[in-house]
Amino acid sequence: MYQYDLIDKEFLVDRSNEFRGQVARRLAGELTEDQFKPLRLMNGLYLQLHAYMLRIAVPYGSLNPTQMRRLAEIARDYDKGYGHFTTRQNIQFNWIKLRDAPDILDKLAEVDLHAIQTSGNCIRNTTSDPYAGATAEEIDDPRVWSEVIRQWSTLHPEFSFLPRKFKIAITASAKDRTAAKVHDIGLLLRQGRDGSHGFEVIVGGGQGRTPYVGPTIKEFLPTDRLLSYLEAILRVYNRHGRRDNIYKARIKILVAALGAEEFARQVEEEWEKIDAARADLPAGELGRIRAAFATTPFETLPVRSEAFETAKANDSAFARFVRNNVRAHKQPGYAIVEVSLKAQEQTPGDASAEQMEVVADLAERYGFNDVRVTHAQNLVLPHVKLDDLPTVFAALQASGLATPNIDLISDIIACPGLDYCALANARAIPIAQDIARQFADPDRAEEVGELKIKISGCINACGHHHVAHIGVLGVDKKGEEFYQLSLGGSGAEDASIGKILGPALPADRVASAVDQLVGAYLNVRADGERFLDTYRRVGLEPFKEAVYAQAD
Amino acid sequence: MKAITANRLIDGDVVFWKSGQWVERFGDAELFDSDEPIEAAVAVGKSQPTVVVDVYPIDLVESGDHWAPVSYRERIRALGPTNELTHGKQAEGGDVVEALRQASGAARSTGRVDLIRRK
Repeated sequence: MYQYDLIDKEFLVDRSNEFRGQVARRLAGELTEDQFKPLRLMNGLYLQLHAYMLRIAVPYGSLNPTQMRRLAEIARDYDKGYGHFTTRQNIQFNWIKLRDAPDILDKLAEVDLHAIQTSGNCIRNTTSDPYAGATAEEIDDPRVWSEVIRQWSTLHPEFSFLPRKFKIAITASAKDRTAAKVHDIGLLLRQGRDGSHGFEVIVGGGQGRTPYVGPTIKEFLPTDRLLSYLEAILRVYNRHGRRDNIYKARIKILVAALGAEEFARQVEEEWEKIDAARADLPAGELGRIRAAFATTPFETLPVRSEAFETAKANDSAFARFVRNNVRAHKQPGYAIVEVSLKAQEQTPGDASAEQMEVVADLAERYGFNDVRVTHAQNLVLPHVKLDDLPTVFAALQASGLATPNIDLISDIIACPGLDYCALANARAIPIAQDIARQFADPDRAEEVGELKIKISGCINACGHHHVAHIGVLGVDKKGEEFYQLSLGGSGAEDASIGKILGPALPADRVASAVDQLVGAYLNVRADGERFLDTYRRVGLEPFKEAVYAQAD
Repeated sequence: MKAITANRLIDGDVVFWKSGQWVERFGDAELFDSDEPIEAAVAVGKSQPTVVVDVYPIDLVESGDHWAPVSYRERIRALGPTNELTHGKQAEGGDVVEALRQASGAARSTGRVDLIRRK
C-alpha cells in the first residue's frame, strides 16, 4: 500500500488546522453560511436531514487495518456506532456535529486519511478494482495508476473549480468491477500487440438525470502519456463545459453535444500543445509509486489446501460462502474474500464499529494488512490463504459479515435515500430491505443467480439504478413515495442503461414486483443465462406483462 | 396549522421554534394558525445565522390527538431515519412520536421546496 511521506502528512495537518479556523470563524459569525458552505464541502462535510454528514475518501477503495480501526473509533466516538460505505468506495458518517469535525479531521490525518475532494466541482477519488493486486485477470496493478492520479489531482490548481464534479475509474481487468464506462473518464488498461501497455480512454459516461455509456475517444494511450492526456481532456472540459446550467455541466453533456469524434479531435489538438516533459510523470516517480504496491510477501503454497477442502466438504454453510463470496487469486493457495455488508435487515453498505474492527483484525492476522471497499458497498479481504479460509469465515459469520450473497439478488446497492439525504425524494433503504427479505432463502437466491438490483432515492443516481439489472428509482408523486423500475442496465464491461418498465409503483408493491420479474425470468431463461442475458434476448414485454398485467 | 423548523448550526440537529427559543422535540414546537406571526418568527430565526441554518415553516395535519407534519420528509426529520428506530428524536418514544409515525398525510414539504428554489 502507498505510504504517505512527510510532505503528505504535514499537508493534512495544515489542512485540518485551516478547517478548524474556518469553523471557529463561522461559529463566531465572521463567515456567513454562504461563505462557509463551499469551505466545509471542500472538506467533505454536508448538512443533511438530521445532522452533518462527513464523507471520507478511501483512495481507490484501499484501507489498512490502522485506518479501519480509526474509522471504527470515529463511528463510536462521534457517530452512533456505524459508518456507511458508498458506491464510490468511500465512507460516510451520518451523525456528525460541526463542532467535532475539526477533531475528526485531525484523527483522520494521523492515519493518512482525509475528506479532501470528496465534494465540490473537482476531481474526486478515483474508482478502482477492489481485486487489484490479487486477481490473475489484470495485466497491471491499477492502484499504481490510481495513486498517480491521486497525487496529480489533489489540489490541482487548474482543476479545482471545474464546471462540475469529475470522476475517474481505472480497471486493468477485462471484467470491470469499477463501472468505468459510466464515469466522466474510464481508463481500461490494455496490452498492445508488442506487449506494451496503454489505456483505452472512455470519456463522457455518467448517470444522474442524463445517463450515458461513455464513448471511447482513444483506443490506446501509452501509459507514460497518461497525465498529459488527462490534462488535455480536463482543459477542453474546463473551457467548454457549461457553467450556466448545473444539469448540463457534466462532461457527458459536452461530449454528447460535440460528438465523441469532435471532442476527441479537440483533445488531440490540446494535447499537442502540452509540453510532455512538464506534464507527464517521470519514470523515476512512477517507479517509486510502483514499488509501494509490489511488496505483498506471498508464500509459495500448493494450489490445493487440505484444510480448505475438508471444511468445504463437511460444512455446507462454508461451501455456500465459498461458492458466492470467494474468488480466484493469482497466487496459488490464496483467495479473494468478499465480506458482505448486505445481511438480512442490514442497511446496505453499513458497518458497525465492531464489524470494522473484526475486518481490521482479520486483515492484520490473515490478509497482509489489506482491506478494500467495493462500489457495490461490500468489503474485500484480497489476500487470504485457503488454509485460513475456514477460520476467517467463522470470524466473519460470528459478526454477521458472511452473508453468502455477492452479486446475488439480495446484494443490493442502495443510497441513503430520504432516511438521511437532503436531496432525496424517497427512501431507498427500506425498499432494499423489503426485497432482500423476499429473497431471504439462500437456495432460491442461488437458483436465481447473478442479479444486480440498485436503488436510488432521487434522479442523481448515487444508487446506480441506471446500470442495474433491475433498477429502482424513488420518485415523489404529489408528496408520496413511488418507485420506477427499469431493466437491463449494466455497469460492468457490457455496460448499458436500463429501460423503464412502466408506471411507478407504490412502496409496498416493489418487492412483489421484483418477485414477478424473477418469476418471468425463471420461466423463459435458457441454460446459463443471467437475468440480464435473458432480458437482452427477450426484451421488456414479458417482464412488463408479469408486473402490470394482473393490475388491469 | 404550521410550525417552524431549522437545523442548528453547531451540530446540525433538527430544531423547532418555540416562543423565541429553538427546541429539539417536535412535540414542544409552537403551533401557528395564522400567517403573520409565523412570518415574523421566521424572520427572527433568519436573523440568527450563528444559531440556526435553513429556517422554514412546515405544514401540519391532525394525527390522532396530536399534530404531525404533512410531508413525510418533515416527519422523518422530526423522528429520525426509518431504518434505525433507535436513532434520532424517535428514540425517546411517547405519544407525539407515535402520532408522527401513524400520520399519513402526503404532501411535499412546501417550506423546503421554497428554500431550495430560493437557493
